[in-house]
Amino acid sequence: MSKFLKAFLFVSLVFAPFTAYAVTVASWGGAYTESQQKAYADTYSDPSSIVFENYNGGLGEVRAQVESGNVTWDLVDVLPSDAITGCDEGLFEDISSEIATLGVPGPDGESIAEDMENNGLEYHSGWDCCVPQIFWTYVVFYDPDAFPGEKPDSMADFFDVEKFPGKRGIHTWSTGIIEKAMIADGVKPNAVPTVLANQTGAIDRAFEVLDKIKDHVVFWSAGSQPLELVKSGEVIMAIAYNGRVGAANLAEGENFEYIWEGQVLDQEYLCLTAGAPNRDAAIDFMMHASTPEAQAEQAKYITYGPMRASGIPIIQNNEPWGPGGVDIMPHMPNTPERLKVSVVSDPQWWSDYGAEIDERYAAWMAN
Amino acid sequence: MEVTISTAELLTTDGIPLKQSLRKAERRNKLRAFLLVFPLLLFIFVTFVMPIGDMLLRSVDDSQINSVFPNTFDEYKNWDKGVDELPPEEVYKSLFFELANGDKRQIGKALTRMNYAKSGWKSLIKKTTREIKKIVKKGEEPVSYKDTFIKINKFWGDPTYWYSFNQMVNDRSSIYYWNALDRTFNEDGDVVLQDEKRRMYIKTWLRTFKVSVYVTIFCLILGFPVAHLLANLPLRYSNLLMIFVLLPFWTSLLVRTTAWIVMLQQNGVINGILVWLGVINDDGRIQMVYNEAGTLIAMTQILLPFMILPLYSVMRVIPKSHMRAAQNLGAKPATAFLRVYLPQTIPGISAGGLLVFVLAIGYFITPELVGGKDGKLIGSWIAYHLKTTLNWGLCAALGAILLGIMLIFYWLYNKIVGIDNIKLG
Repeated sequence: MSKFLKAFLFVSLVFAPFTAYAVTVASWGGAYTESQQKAYADTYSDPSSIVFENYNGGLGEVRAQVESGNVTWDLVDVLPSDAITGCDEGLFEDISSEIATLGVPGPDGESIAEDMENNGLEYHSGWDCCVPQIFWTYVVFYDPDAFPGEKPDSMADFFDVEKFPGKRGIHTWSTGIIEKAMIADGVKPNAVPTVLANQTGAIDRAFEVLDKIKDHVVFWSAGSQPLELVKSGEVIMAIAYNGRVGAANLAEGENFEYIWEGQVLDQEYLCLTAGAPNRDAAIDFMMHASTPEAQAEQAKYITYGPMRASGIPIIQNNEPWGPGGVDIMPHMPNTPERLKVSVVSDPQWWSDYGAEIDERYAAWMAN
Repeated sequence: MEVTISTAELLTTDGIPLKQSLRKAERRNKLRAFLLVFPLLLFIFVTFVMPIGDMLLRSVDDSQINSVFPNTFDEYKNWDKGVDELPPEEVYKSLFFELANGDKRQIGKALTRMNYAKSGWKSLIKKTTREIKKIVKKGEEPVSYKDTFIKINKFWGDPTYWYSFNQMVNDRSSIYYWNALDRTFNEDGDVVLQDEKRRMYIKTWLRTFKVSVYVTIFCLILGFPVAHLLANLPLRYSNLLMIFVLLPFWTSLLVRTTAWIVMLQQNGVINGILVWLGVINDDGRIQMVYNEAGTLIAMTQILLPFMILPLYSVMRVIPKSHMRAAQNLGAKPATAFLRVYLPQTIPGISAGGLLVFVLAIGYFITPELVGGKDGKLIGSWIAYHLKTTLNWGLCAALGAILLGIMLIFYWLYNKIVGIDNIKLG
């Protein structure tokens, strides 16, 4: 027994130095984490001190870690609604003063918050605990070869099965698709969050539009599925994460077209877990990962756009920025022209109504 | 000579009564046996009994919110809904101070909870708290707290928000169980059906059972002959075949699921072959995936080894002579099979059936990927509430119902077949 104990102590002493100082970042894995590794960790002063771990989103694990007092993730890469809830519940630590003092300002001295506001975002409580990462988006895409004649170019076309017969690929939860249905119903993209927040019956309207494609839908639940669905001809167009479509076009030689109108932009944050074992090192890395330069750097590896407005000019002025000498701006979701026809998803509203609408969406799906 | 029967007790060499000594030895053995299994008992207690107990507690626990707004809830109970449209001034006043002085994180947790009772609470409380803190900072004392609230946001004059307090007024609550069955509390605290558009848990429960039962039956139909073949072939052939059974077992779940999509989709392998053979024409391609058929096919294949292995291990030890003897005695092969062979495989069928059913009822990744509109089983919703909405109370209630149903099945099984009749080999 004591031999075993000694061995155990020895092993833990040997391994302790390696585990103690590494900042653990929980993120979504795949090409996305790879791009974070290259853009944030590899450009950091001490790349080996950053370790990425995969998770499937949501705050379940974070809450379990914080409640049990056994925190292993220093930083977590989350959606904005989770940033808000996590910060409100104290699962993430309020570091607003650190962000204000240590955050790297933009070229004109704008703070991180001002820089985000320049990108059309509004303050929410997630900003107190988290630093911005990238914009990603729910975008409709198709294979132009499947449309010898007229090609679809609007949300109205996506929901019009008579004009463009064939199946559509949509996801099994409600964020993103509700907004798209509103646009198809004639709401101006930029006005969608306001209409959703203030008009009673707005959701009913969205579901009426959804009814039109009900019998022409293939539902997907994993990010790789819509690409496969369109490629195999199972559907004629589909909603997907734009980064996946970008990767298919840039790295796999596909020639997919996007319908940028009605894309639904969502945010992505890096948050500090309450009680993080390597708090100070983690904050230092957060500040590095939220510089305009680091955010622009990420666009080299995945077609997600910087959430800090000052990141965009860095890309624009240095094209070709993409892999293998291609211009990356044509694949970026948040160019000024595209923002005019886009919805910026309202995380606070989704945090309020998401669960109820998801249940309703599931009831609609199975009906 | 007379034989005298000694009434004195039998003694051991140590002079201790034999009975006592034996008892002592027995006690020592018992203690040793207990100490040997103690680590296992402790392990089971920590990893199994405690989490389940915790889950059952969470499914009825509503104390967090009551500890954050104790006065508000106390005052709320005095509201006579028949008389006043809105709660009395005291409710607003208590809430005012509990929001102004409360701990930010505790309020944060409370509003996550409140939002389950009615969507919209989160923003409403957050906005209101900001305004209230401003008022307190200025040192003003509102004349009417009710009017102050309504001035901050018109929703404070909307009784439906206040009605939702009914779901939270007690430390212990059955609301999560009702939610898990498409029901909720109305303004009087009575159980009523959930808003029609949101009702989907009952349907999901039924679908989950349907899928689990079908998958179990299909696994039995497909697995029985395979297990029989494996059990009766010479060892070198059966070992080879066994690898075919186990190989997919060791392959990643996602890979197998994706493979099924490739096979079954409308432009997939099977439809392609059928069109090529002229069985169906190009417009008549069969929809075999992204619906319930896809779920059943993929889940059956994935769970098949769990049926085959227990069946195989039971069948292997059934002597071949039994069937021969039955036929020797005049039974037709079918009769011999039904009355001699099949009853002996019951322990294997039971074990396999129970294994497959238990696994199927909690399945969710595969059905979500291949099930299309019918792909959400109850497991999906447990995972969803665990991770996305953080509604762990509802999660626990769904889990507890699942556990309850399994116990009922276990009880039924014990009544009909007998629990001793289960065998893994």
